[in-house]
Amino acid sequence: MVLTVALIIGTILFGIGLYGALSQTNLVMIMMGVELMLGAVMVNLVAFWRYLHPESYSIQMFVLVVMTVMALEAAVGFAIGTQRFRTKGSIESEESADMKG
Amino acid sequence: MMELQITLLMVIGLIAIWFGWRVFRTNSMVRSAFSLLASMVAIGGMFLVMEAEFLGVLQIMMMGTEMSIMAIFMMMYMMDPGGLGQMDMTHQEKPSIVAAVVTGGLALGVILLTNWGDIVPAAPAPAQQNHDLGMEVMQRSMMIFESAGTSILTAMVAALATALIIHNNNQKEH
Amino acid sequence: MSTALTWTAIIILFAAGVYFVALMERWSFSGRLDWAGPLHAFLRAFGQEEIRTRRYDTVFYEATPIIFIAVVLLAVAILPFAQGTILLDLGTAALFINAALVYIMVSLIMAGWSANGAYGMIGGWRAMAQLIAYSMAVVMAITAAVMRAESMGMLEVVRSQAPLWNIIYQPVGFLLFYFAVMAMAFLPPFDLPVAEGELAGGAWAEFTGARKILFRLGRLLLVLTLALAVTVFFLGGWLGPWLPDFVWTFIKTALVAASFFWVGRWLPRIRHDHLLEWGWKYAVPAALFNIVQVGIQLLL
Repeated sequence: MVLTVALIIGTILFGIGLYGALSQTNLVMIMMGVELMLGAVMVNLVAFWRYLHPESYSIQMFVLVVMTVMALEAAVGFAIGTQRFRTKGSIESEESADMKG
Repeated sequence: MMELQITLLMVIGLIAIWFGWRVFRTNSMVRSAFSLLASMVAIGGMFLVMEAEFLGVLQIMMMGTEMSIMAIFMMMYMMDPGGLGQMDMTHQEKPSIVAAVVTGGLALGVILLTNWGDIVPAAPAPAQQNHDLGMEVMQRSMMIFESAGTSILTAMVAALATALIIHNNNQKEH
Repeated sequence: MSTALTWTAIIILFAAGVYFVALMERWSFSGRLDWAGPLHAFLRAFGQEEIRTRRYDTVFYEATPIIFIAVVLLAVAILPFAQGTILLDLGTAALFINAALVYIMVSLIMAGWSANGAYGMIGGWRAMAQLIAYSMAVVMAITAAVMRAESMGMLEVVRSQAPLWNIIYQPVGFLLFYFAVMAMAFLPPFDLPVAEGELAGGAWAEFTGARKILFRLGRLLLVLTLALAVTVFFLGGWLGPWLPDFVWTFIKTALVAASFFWVGRWLPRIRHDHLLEWGWKYAVPAALFNIVQVGIQLLL
C-alpha cells in the first residue's frame, strides 16, 4: 500500500515532467521538465530502497548518481543556451530550425 | 507507523504534484523556477518521510542552488520583470498530453498489477545509513562514484568551452 | 540543574545574544556603543508607513521575510548549546545546516525579484553569485570537521574536540569557514546583496515597516546562529572549565559574533568578481589542502 502510494506519486510527477519537456518551446523550460522527470525517478528509487531492500545501498548510490546527472544536465544545457543566445538572440526551440540537417 | 507514513507521503506528494503542475502553468519564468524548487523540496521531504535522511537533506540542499541558477538564466534569456510576462510558451500541446497520459497510464498499470511482495517494516537508523552508504561508496561502488566525479569534471570543461566567446584569430588580422 | 531551567537560561541568553549582535552591528558603522539604539530602530521601523511598489508579486513578497526567519530557526534547532541540550539531534546535522542556510539566498532572490525594483533585483542576483563563491569553502571546511568526528551529528563533532579544539587542529579550515560564514551572513566586507552604499539596501530596498523588521531580526539571528556554528565546529562548543556548559557556548558565540563586526570594520568591501575569483581560485585549493591535512593527521 505505502509503496504503491509512493510509486503513483512518482508516476504522476513523471507524467507532468514528460508533458512539460515535450510541450514547452523554451530551452530552460524543457530542462525543467527533464528535472521533474528525474525527480520522479528518484522518488521511485528511494521508495524501492525503503520498502523492498533497505539493506542494499547501491540504490542510494544510484540516487546520488541521478542527482549528479541532474546537475550536469543543467550545466551543459545552460552552456548551450548561453551560446545560442549569444549567436541567435533567442533560446526558443521553434527558432532553431537551422539545426536541421 | 505505516499509516502515518502513508498520510505524510500523500500530503507531501500532493504538494509536489501541485507545484510541479504550476511550473508549466504560470506566465512568469521566475515563478515557474521557484515552483519547481518547491516541488523538488517536497520530493526531498518525501525522502525524509521514507527515512532516507541523507538523500533528503542532500536533495533539498542541491535543489536550492540549482533552481536559483535556473531562475537567473531564465531572467537573462527572457527578460522577465516581476509581475509582467504574459506569453504563451507551448507548442505541440495535444501530442504531449497524449504522450504523458499514455506513459503515465502504462506505468500505473505496471504499478497496480505487479505483486511487490512484503513491505519491510523498519529501515536502518540515519547514522547507520550514513556509515553504510559511505562504505558502499568507498568499496563496491567506488568506480561508479569515480566516474561520476570524472563526468562532473568533463561537463564543467565542456560547459565552459561551449559558453565561451569564440575569438577567431584569423579574422582579427583583417 | 534541571532541563527546564537550562532551557530557560538558554532562551534568555539567546535573546540577550540577539540584542548584543544588534548593538555590535550599530557599533560597526557608528563606532560607539549606543545602548538604546536597537530599540529605537525597532520602534521607528514599527511605526513606519508601509510602502509597496507597483505590480509586486504578492505571494513572494509576503512569503520571503517568513522564509528568511524560518530557515534560520531551522539551523538553530540542530546546533547544541550544551552536553545533550539540543533541539533536534539529526544524524545528518552537518549537512542539514548547510541545506537550511542555502535558502537564505533563495529568500533574498525572491525578495529582490518580487518587489519589482531594479536595485532589489541586482541585490538578489548578487546574493546568488556570492553563494557560488562561498558555498564550496563552507561545505569543505565542514567536511574536514566531520572527518575528525567520524559522524555528522553535532554532539559528536563537539565531543571529538575534547583533546584539541579544531581551530588548532585545522587552522586553514577555521579561516575558510570564518570568512565564508561572514559572506553567508553578508556582513560588511561581503555585504554585496544589501550594500547600503551602492544599492540603497539591495534586496531589502523595497521592504518597509514590519517586513523590514522581520528581515533585520532574521539577519541578527543569522549572525548569532553562524557564530554558534563557528563555535560548535571549530571552537569546541560547550567545552571549557569551571563554568556551566551553556555559559561557555554563549561566551564563545558572543566573542565570535563581536569579532565578525570588528573584522568587517577594517576591511574594504569586496567586488563580486574578486569574491568569485578568490572563492574558487584560492579557497577551494586551500579547503582541499585542509581535508588532506586532516586525513593525514587522522591516519598518523
